[in-house]
Amino acid sequence: MFNGFKGVLYRELSVYRKRARKQILASSLSPLLYLIAFGWSLGRGVSVDGLPYISFLIPGLITMSSLNQSYGIAQELNITRFYFHVFDEYLIAPISHAEIVLGEAAYGMFKGLLSTVLIFVYAVLFGVKLILTPVFFVAILLHTFLFAALGITVAMLVRDHGTQATVNTFVITPMIFLSGTFFPVDKLPYIFKVLVYALPLTYSTKVIRASLTGGAVNLFFVLLLVIFAVLFFTSALWAVRRVEA
Amino acid sequence: MKASMSEGAAALSVEGLVKRFGKRKALRGISFRVEGGDFIGLLGPNGAGKTTTIKILTGLIKPTEGGVRYYGRDFAAHPREAKRFIGMVPQQSNLDRDLTAYENLYLHTILHGIPKPARKERIEEALEFAGLTEYRDRQVKTFSGGMRRRLVIVRALLHEPRILFLDEPTVGLDPQIRRTLWDLILKVNQVKGTAILLTTHYIEEAEKLCGRVLIINKGRIIAEGPPDDLKREIGRYVLEIFLEDRIEEEFFPSRDEALERLKECDHSCKVREVTLEDVFLRLTGRRINV
Ligand SMILES: Nc1ncnc2c1ncn2[C@@H]1O[C@H](COP(=O)(O)OP(=O)(O)O)[C@@H](O)[C@H]1O
Ligand SMILES: [Mg+2]
Repeated sequence: MFNGFKGVLYRELSVYRKRARKQILASSLSPLLYLIAFGWSLGRGVSVDGLPYISFLIPGLITMSSLNQSYGIAQELNITRFYFHVFDEYLIAPISHAEIVLGEAAYGMFKGLLSTVLIFVYAVLFGVKLILTPVFFVAILLHTFLFAALGITVAMLVRDHGTQATVNTFVITPMIFLSGTFFPVDKLPYIFKVLVYALPLTYSTKVIRASLTGGAVNLFFVLLLVIFAVLFFTSALWAVRRVEA
Repeated sequence: MKASMSEGAAALSVEGLVKRFGKRKALRGISFRVEGGDFIGLLGPNGAGKTTTIKILTGLIKPTEGGVRYYGRDFAAHPREAKRFIGMVPQQSNLDRDLTAYENLYLHTILHGIPKPARKERIEEALEFAGLTEYRDRQVKTFSGGMRRRLVIVRALLHEPRILFLDEPTVGLDPQIRRTLWDLILKVNQVKGTAILLTTHYIEEAEKLCGRVLIINKGRIIAEGPPDDLKREIGRYVLEIFLEDRIEEEFFPSRDEALERLKECDHSCKVREVTLEDVFLRLTGRRINV
């Protein structure tokens, strides 16, 4: 049972193990820069939504950084699929497509959670107090799962590397900047507000920020995250099936 | 094995495969059968549809029309069941370059549900069979073409398939390495009893290895049979007459008859044995390897 899931995860983690140090080092730099530039320097003495800016920023960095990592498996999938045909080894095995998707998603979640731990370390270093509640764990699991599943979908649909980069530039990067990671979405002009409320990152950031800073969590947003998760899992499954056209 | 598989049915039967890529038709109705223990060659020029056929038979792509049955069971309806007893060596290595030889094999044992206690022994056996024991912990990216090919072959055998597909297994290899690979593939067929379907555009490879050859051209099988039979049909010997602007060929059932004709030849002439290349040329007016 679950041979496909175990196999995919074994493959991804074996490769990851060999690059772990480099990867962790690389992924730890940019959140640190954000913290220094915005949290420390620019945001000193500023408060947002009744929080010191750095306390507001840290949950945003958690969702941003874990999204980058979880969704980022798209890039790796793309290379292994188009250049090295490793994906064929999965397709030819007696395993289901759902197992392939879940195995890849688990790897994406693993990377996302690792970067979350890293930001927690920064929070301690910068003296920011965070509250860990069950809601936070539910939300971060949903968040990393749904963006990993989105990454799988995109990686299976695009025909090449260039298209992948275009999707990142026009969809992922704007989403990361506008969805309330660095400033409250309510400050956005109306038209943008409509836009960001269609994006899942807006909800995961709201839920995760509220849970970590002792605010009130809107359970309807959690439900929306579940819906996005189901949606992207379905699209990933469909996209993997489509590979065997 | 499974009660659901009918006894007596061919290990593999392929019925009227058609594959369209947009407007282009890659396969125009391919049918054949493979029995247990067979060694079959799918011989044809580049673009004939060999890879497309293999990909359909292993479930990597779906046919536009037609069906595939393993032991009487429809492949499209029961893909996972069939995938347990087929193995595939793709034209392009799909080994994981970042993993070691051992890790690549280990991944395969997980994906194919080989029980944990049996894995180590099977993998070591496979490495031994491929002559790669001392390279087990090296990353595949450091391997030569021949080593990769051997590793892919033994990987495909880890779950003890009853039918092994090899897509152009020796393309791009030195003649000497090609020979060691032939030995390996023959050993698989004869020692393990695995049925083999191999595609190639090398005449010599098809003649040396295959008990039966399917000649494929432009998505159709245009001739089929043991290499000797196919050759006998056009004559075992050929007399080549080197004219000013072309080579004329005359076919004879025996060497003596060919030599007899050679005597009355007033151009420069040569008698040689017929090859499958002649068969192909006769059927299509073209050579397999241009
Ligand atoms: N994915 C594809 N899209 C479009 N055409 C393809 C595709 N794959 C193969 N073909 C075409 O189908 C024909 C058969 O290809 P292929 O099966 O690879 O031949 P072979 O393996 O015998 O060299 C060729 O004309 C090839 O260009
Ligand atoms: Mg080919």
